[in-house]
Amino acid sequence: MLTLANVDVVYGGVIQVLRAANLEVREGQMVVLLGANGAGKTTTLKAISGLLVAEHGEVTDGRITFAGRDITHADPAATVKAGLVQVLEGRKVLEHLTVRQNLLVGAHLRPDRAAVRADLDRVFRYFPALPELLDRTAGYLSGGEMQMLLIGRALMARPRLLLLDEPSMGLAPMLAQQLFDTISRINRDEGLTVLMVEQNARAAIAHCDYGYIMEGGRVVLHGSRDQLEGNQDVQEFYLGMGHGTERPSYREVKHYRRRKRWLG
Amino acid sequence: MRPTGIWFESYAAEARVLETLRARLWLLALLAALVLLPAVAGPWLLGEFTNLFITLVAVYGLYVTVGMAGQINIAQSAFVGVGAFTAAKLSGMGVPIWATIPAGALAAGCISIVFALPAWRVKGFYLALTTLAAQVMFPIVILALPMSWLGGLVGMPVMPPTLFGLNLGTPTGLYFLGLFVAALATWTAFNLPRSRIGRAFRAVHDNDSAASVMGIQVTRIKIEAFFAGALYAGVAGAVLAYFLQFVTVSSFTLFTSVWYLGMLIVGGLHSPVGPILGVVFVTLLQEGLHKFANAMLQADGGLGGGTVFALSSVVLALCILIALIFEPRGLAHLWHTGMKAFRLWPFPRN
Repeated sequence: MLTLANVDVVYGGVIQVLRAANLEVREGQMVVLLGANGAGKTTTLKAISGLLVAEHGEVTDGRITFAGRDITHADPAATVKAGLVQVLEGRKVLEHLTVRQNLLVGAHLRPDRAAVRADLDRVFRYFPALPELLDRTAGYLSGGEMQMLLIGRALMARPRLLLLDEPSMGLAPMLAQQLFDTISRINRDEGLTVLMVEQNARAAIAHCDYGYIMEGGRVVLHGSRDQLEGNQDVQEFYLGMGHGTERPSYREVKHYRRRKRWLG
Repeated sequence: MRPTGIWFESYAAEARVLETLRARLWLLALLAALVLLPAVAGPWLLGEFTNLFITLVAVYGLYVTVGMAGQINIAQSAFVGVGAFTAAKLSGMGVPIWATIPAGALAAGCISIVFALPAWRVKGFYLALTTLAAQVMFPIVILALPMSWLGGLVGMPVMPPTLFGLNLGTPTGLYFLGLFVAALATWTAFNLPRSRIGRAFRAVHDNDSAASVMGIQVTRIKIEAFFAGALYAGVAGAVLAYFLQFVTVSSFTLFTSVWYLGMLIVGGLHSPVGPILGVVFVTLLQEGLHKFANAMLQADGGLGGGTVFALSSVVLALCILIALIFEPRGLAHLWHTGMKAFRLWPFPRN
């Protein structure tokens, strides 16, 4: 459904962030993108949704295709029209608008008002806390409520592929767990394809069908959930397992990084 | 927060501007009072009200561009001028009033697009500067054009308006014309935030990258916001032309533009009630001080006319400062909290 083939992204004409990144998302899958800070995860999402221009970034090489169409240089409004909706990092609600208005803005490109109203109910099925908050100003919601609103708003656009950028950021572990459960329920029940960037690796891997791990602007490892959970490197570096109770010493890690060249 | 006992059973009821029967009755009472006013008021008071209505329409335009879409526009007075000159020129050619007002609106809208185009590349203060250019260019262009086109330095007389054989040129006629356009502007301004394009304006205002991931074409929406705001300005200008009976460039200055912005900010940027409160508050203040200054001059307290009028400007500025210090969100915020307290009485508002 979505393919990135050898995509290079350069910011401001000098800083190369993505180096020949390859990625594939199949219809109906829930795919996670993991990696350390600065690995290029958010840049990958922005390259897909066309938001790089706002930050003086540019796809200099490679192709991004979505549902058979080349969207490498498409503008954000066009990608949304194609069915690709992104939830930005850092809870970018429209803070002066009410929750209801936020949700309706999500349906900006849809002319059918009756269907939009029906979709409000559909969103409330996944986020039962939202109807209570409809007339509240979005800027005053709590972090968890904002995240529900953002995902609800994205659903209002009836996307075919949902891009989520760190939905669990700043949430209490239990809230994050609930959020992941809801996202996978939406993925399952609606058949909505999801590509999610996460730091919370253990929970993210547990919920995904397939995962990619990025490092230094490249995809260095990928595999199905079982493969990732069984992979020793993933266990050591992202899940913090494999050392028993003792923490690894710096020398060991340095040595390890020399052995595993792909870690950059 | 609504008082107990008021609930809604349908989506439409919940989305209404006037939620309760009582609110609708209040509005009817206000409209009835305004319609009956000419029966009791003299021509001077009617003139003041007409002027207030026209200003309100212009400020509603700013509410759309600045308050809703967040694009600073310091050339509203120039756009009012475009509407006024268009109406004056057309009325001189014998075009009836029902055509000159929309034509004035459209002319102002089209010219505003030219100055909104930089929104494609720049935003914030830089965009505000391009609108300043519109304000500066307006008199230069009018003066540079041949006298026979738009009257140049002298200005142009405006034919008194008639509609279906009725003479609208009387104070009462102009009052009703002003009331009609002001009511129309108010109605559209209250409903715009509930519409798709209104929500897009406010989304662009709040966060343009978040708006663009919802499929909103940010640049287009910004230009549309300027266009919509200038439409209001054009209507205000056309009616103002009939009201003044004569248009010259000196009526449409940067000073007036700043006053329009000032009224909007004092009234409140984010609520459609804001422009009404701002325009009424500032106009009352201006007129009151004017009267007071005149009385001072009559009494001859030993101050010269220059000093008295300078002092009245200082007092006006002080009043606005005080209003902003104590209510930075504008009088509209005061209005909304007051209304809430009134509705929930005797319970404290939360």
